[in-house]
Parts: sequence; C-alpha cells; structure tokens
Amino acid sequence: MRKNQLWIMAALAGLGLLLFSVVLFAGPTPAQGQDDPTPPPDSESDYCLICHARPDQSIPLPDGSMLDISVDPEGIEHSVHGELGLGCIDCHGEDAFPHDDPLPPSARVFTIEMASICTDCHTAQANELIDSVHASALTGGNLRAATCVDCHGAHEVQPPDNPPVIAQTCGACHQFVFGEFETSVHGESLLAGDPNVPTCTNCHGVHGIEHPTTALFRNRSPELCAECHADEDMMAEYDITTNVFDSYLSDFHGTTVALFAQQDPNVASSQAVCFDCHGVHDIKRVDAENSRVVRENLLETCQSCHPDATSDFPDSWVGHYPPTLDSHPLLFTVNTFYTILIPTVLGGFLLFVASDIFRRVRERARRS
Amino acid sequence: MTAEANERVEQKHYLRFSVPQRLQHILLIASFTILALTGLPQKYAAEGIAQSLIGLLGGIETIRVIHRVAATTLMVVAIYHGGEISYKLFVLGKRANMLPTVKDVQDAWHWLRYNLGLGRHYPRMPHFNFSEKAEYLALVWGTIIMIITGFMLWNPITTNRLLPAAWIPAARAAHGAEAVLAVLSIIIWHFYHVHIRHFNKSMFTGTLSHKEMEEEHGAALDAIEAGKEEPKLPTEVIQRRQRLFWPYAVIMTILLVGGLVFFITFEETALTTTSSRLSEPGAVSLSVDAAAGIAAEGAALWQELDCQTCHGADARGVPELSSIPLAGTEISFRAFAASVRRGPADMPAYSPEQIGDEQLAHLWAWLSSLDQEAAQAR
Repeated sequence: MRKNQLWIMAALAGLGLLLFSVVLFAGPTPAQGQDDPTPPPDSESDYCLICHARPDQSIPLPDGSMLDISVDPEGIEHSVHGELGLGCIDCHGEDAFPHDDPLPPSARVFTIEMASICTDCHTAQANELIDSVHASALTGGNLRAATCVDCHGAHEVQPPDNPPVIAQTCGACHQFVFGEFETSVHGESLLAGDPNVPTCTNCHGVHGIEHPTTALFRNRSPELCAECHADEDMMAEYDITTNVFDSYLSDFHGTTVALFAQQDPNVASSQAVCFDCHGVHDIKRVDAENSRVVRENLLETCQSCHPDATSDFPDSWVGHYPPTLDSHPLLFTVNTFYTILIPTVLGGFLLFVASDIFRRVRERARRS
Repeated sequence: MTAEANERVEQKHYLRFSVPQRLQHILLIASFTILALTGLPQKYAAEGIAQSLIGLLGGIETIRVIHRVAATTLMVVAIYHGGEISYKLFVLGKRANMLPTVKDVQDAWHWLRYNLGLGRHYPRMPHFNFSEKAEYLALVWGTIIMIITGFMLWNPITTNRLLPAAWIPAARAAHGAEAVLAVLSIIIWHFYHVHIRHFNKSMFTGTLSHKEMEEEHGAALDAIEAGKEEPKLPTEVIQRRQRLFWPYAVIMTILLVGGLVFFITFEETALTTTSSRLSEPGAVSLSVDAAAGIAAEGAALWQELDCQTCHGADARGVPELSSIPLAGTEISFRAFAASVRRGPADMPAYSPEQIGDEQLAHLWAWLSSLDQEAAQAR
C-alpha cells in the first residue's frame, strides 16, 4: 500500500513538473476547468485563438492609440490563407510567442511592420510594389500610404478579383476620386455589375501603381483608353465606335502626342489626350447633360487649353466619326474636291509624260 | 548653210532667266523641299518612315519651327515675285506671257498626238510653253492655297474670329492634300520635263541652247530669228510709270511684310507643344485678383474647408502625413490656385464649385499673412 502511494505521489510530482515546465515554456496554461467550454487545442492556431478569438480586445500603445488584438476565427478560416490550411505562425512565426517584444510606438507602425510579412511569400508583388506611389510615399515617411493589408485585409483576405470591391477598396482612402468615379459612366456601370468597364486597377495597375500625373502616363494614356475602346467586340455591346483611337491619332492633338510618346515619352506634351476632353474619373456619356464633350459644354472644355476660343471654335474638332456631307459639309467638300483633283491632275501629267517616253523609245528603236 | 555656220548657230545661247529669277528659284527649291520634308511626315505621322524623318530632323517641335521658317521664306519670295511681275506688267509694259492661251491648248494637243504617232507636226511653242505654264500656274495656285490654309492652321483662334470654325479642319485637309498634289506634280511633271527628259540647266546658267530652243520654244526662236522681239516702251514712258510704281511698291511691301509678321507672330496656339501644363501656374483661369483676398476670412475658411487635417492648423504641414507646409513657402497666388484646382499628388482637386475663386484669394491672403508674420519674427 505504501509502495503504491509512493508511486502515485511520484507520478503526481512528475505530472506537476511537466505542468510547471509547460507553464514556464509554453506560456499561459489553457484554462481547462469543467465550466470552460473551450475544447483542447489541436493546432498552433487554435492555441493562439484561445486568447485572440475573444472579441473587442485591445491594448494601449505609447502614442495613445489602441492596438486591436482580436481576431475572427471564422474570417481566417474562410480567407484565402485559411482555405490553404495556413495558420497564425505561418505568417507571424513561431517566435511571436511569448509576446516579449517591446510594444510598437503606434498601431499604424505595427500595421506597417506586419504588412512586410506578406512580401516574404508574395515576392513578385513585392517587386512590383517597390516603385509604386504607395511604397514611395511610405518610404518617404507618409505613414498613411497604403500597405498590403490596407487593401487586402489582414486576416480575412479574400481573392482580389471583384472589380466593384476593388474600386470601393481604393475609395476607402481616395474618397474624392471615388466620389467622382461612382457617378461616372464607368463607375455607374461597374457598381451595377457590368464586367467590361474598368475598375481603378485596369488603368492604374495593381501593385506597381505609377504616378498618374507624369508625362509618361499622360503620353501613354490614349493607348490605355484604346485597350477597350479599340476592341470591336467589346464596343459593339455599347454601340460605341472603335474609330475613336484612329480618329484621335489622325487629328492634330493625337498626332503630336503620338510623336512625343514615340520619341521621348517622358517629355510632357500640352496637346490634349483623351482625358483632357472627356474627363478623368468623372467621364460621362458623351451625350449626357453634364458631359464635358456634349455640344453645350464643349466650348468650355476647349477653353481650358485655348482660353481665347470663341463661340463655335469646337467645330474645328471633327469628332471621332468619319466626316460626312451632313456633319461636316466644308471638310467633306474639300476632301471630295481633292479626291477628284489629285488623280485628274496627276493622271493628265502621267499621260503626257508616258506619251513622251513612248515617242523617245520608238525613235530610238527606229534609229538603231 | 555651211557646217561652220551650222555650228555657230548650235553654239548660240538664248537668255532665259535673269539673275533675280534664278535667285528666286533657288529660294523656292530650298523652301519647297524643306516644307515637303517637314510637312509630309506630319501628315503621315503614323508611318515608321515619317517618324524616323521627324526624329532625324530633331523632333516634332523642331520640325514645326523649321516648317514655319521655310514657309516664311516662301512667302517672302512670293511677295518679291508679286512685285517683280507688277513691275514688268505695269512699268515695262510686257505681255502677261504666263497666262494660258488657246494656242497652248492646241500645242498640248499636237504634242500629245505627235508623241503617240497620230500627228506629224511637232508644235513650235512660245517663250513659255504649255508645260511650263501649267507648272507655273499650279505653283501659284498651290502657294495661294497653302498660304491661306497655312494661316488658318497657324492662327486657328484668329481664323475663328473671321470664319466659322469648320474652316479649320477643312483647311487642314486642303493643306495636306495640296501638299501631296504639289510634291507629286513636281516629281512627275517638273522632274520629267527638266531633269529626266534632258537636263535643263537654264535655271542656273540663265540660257538655253539653240537645240533646246528649237524643241521647246520653236515659236519664240522663230520670232527672235525674224527680229520680231517684243517692242520696248520709250524711256520717258517707263520713267513716268516708275514714279507711280515705287510709292505703290513701297506701300504694298510694307502692307504685305506687315501682314506676314502678323501671320507668323500673332498666335502661338499651334506652336506651344510642350509645357508642364499640369503644374503650370498660368494655366488656371481665375475670376478674381489676389488683392481681393481677406486674411481673416481665409483663416476661417482654412478650418471650415478642413485644410488643417492635412496641412496643419498653422499651415505648417503635418510631418507624419508628409503633407506640404504652405506657410512660409511664399507660393504665388496663381501657383496656389493651380494646385488647389488640379490637386497635386495625393491631394484632391477642388473645383470652383467646391472652393470658389474668391475663397482661394482669402486663403492665399491668410497664407501670405503667415509669411509676413514669420518674416517679422525673424
């Protein structure tokens, strides 16, 4: 009996020692009382979630901001990472615990630090990001600049393939632009579920977003619009001519811009590109009352570059459709005149020249 | 005729072009060639060869300037030529022998029939034959069209004050089409008659040989040999006419050269191709003057419009946002207004409906007053 008691005591002591070492090395002991419903942990994530799953927890940081430390387990489980079976330590590392790192100075600094974890796996996106406006702003000290998690979310990352959501995501910071965009012809259709219209990233790119006010962006912008507007199948759905790009290029503005883009795309040209007339984010249907290019508003649009332009100056722009006798009687007449005059004159000249050659060849043949 | 006499006749040369005419021609060659080389690539700018040529000549801006310099040269030649013709017609009393006549039509017809082996008689043609008249009149027509349409393209805003704006694209179409017509005419007609058929050096030497006269100006040669040259007016008649001509010539020259200067300097719409328009201060139109601003109103607006969120309550910027401090930068009113209107970097643009011109002036007045305070503090 004593022997048995001794054995039990040794076993209990061993168990106690084991328990103690778990407490010492593995951190907080999971509470396992009968009144606690939490099941025993079966993975590291579950282990972290024992604390972090509790809602509405935050800790104060030195600058006074509060760091939210609660995580929604459902959100992680249904995120792109959760579905791949990735858990907390796949991103945060095993040595994230115990939490003995000094507290970050502010919640924002912590977010930016955490975002750098993403680039460990997503190296291609990280490379694109390096020269982007957001990364440049961030390295330049603007802590508000977007990092990975500002757009994608931290734990609840969803596949980034929903165009309206993309626009809303950008709009979270770029509220002014989004406000213009959502009432534009593109924005309205996008939010109504049209899969063809561009969302922010179609024009600006995704991770390697360039500054859109550079000469380079400006000079290349007509090509950008042409990606869709010269696509016959796509434009057929909207009954929009695909002649817009070619007719632009053959006009004075377009010719000049194309030559600039071709020779040195970094030289700013003052010639109008698509968005100078149609608008940038606030593009309206060309026949809409508040469109910059609707007849009633066109003069004002021209005047933004040609301040001295007078009442019918917009008529000097032929438009994106081939001129007809009805739409452009004068231009059409001039074109028709030269279509007849040039072959007539040159044909006459050629007839005389050919007859002279004929005579000389014949004379030479007769002499020899 | 003896062989010796025959040889003498063959070596005989007949004056065709005076020195001023030859100089005009050289200037015409130069300006026409340059105009074609700098103009056609603009018309066919989508073609690779056009782009190479534009690159070779120093880029689109440079070729536009070259084109205009050549155009100005051509217009100066045209003005001189007009004066020369007026002098010949109205002072020296010469015949307008460049105008087409019925005989020219007959000559052309006979020439064509003879070439095709349908007629026996090669036409004996006058001092200026049908092919030369055709070319000269085509040149006159073309130059007039090019000057008029060129003016419209050079000065579209001015043109629009006089004519409906629809003339401008029509002018552009005509300018390009006429250029193609002119260049191809020169290549087909001029090159064939004067360079390929046989090389006619008279425009440089000034004279034609007997054989050339025989072939191209038979009728003129007959007249010269028959001693029937154009009668000259008596000296006193010429002198009397000269007294009227010179004042007329001076006035016309002043008017035309003045017109030319107006033509080439009046408007820069089509010339300014580069500018940093996006950041250029002068590019915004403002309805108020900077002096209209009241600093106190500006200080209130600064808060009301929520400028301080990014630029700080004291307009010295918020370092964490790396926003631009505005106080102490001594930004000009126009540059300030342009920035607000256009929204540089991540600052949103504000339209006149959002921040009126007058409000801009108030804001700027307040910012300027901060500058002054800072200066006084120093």
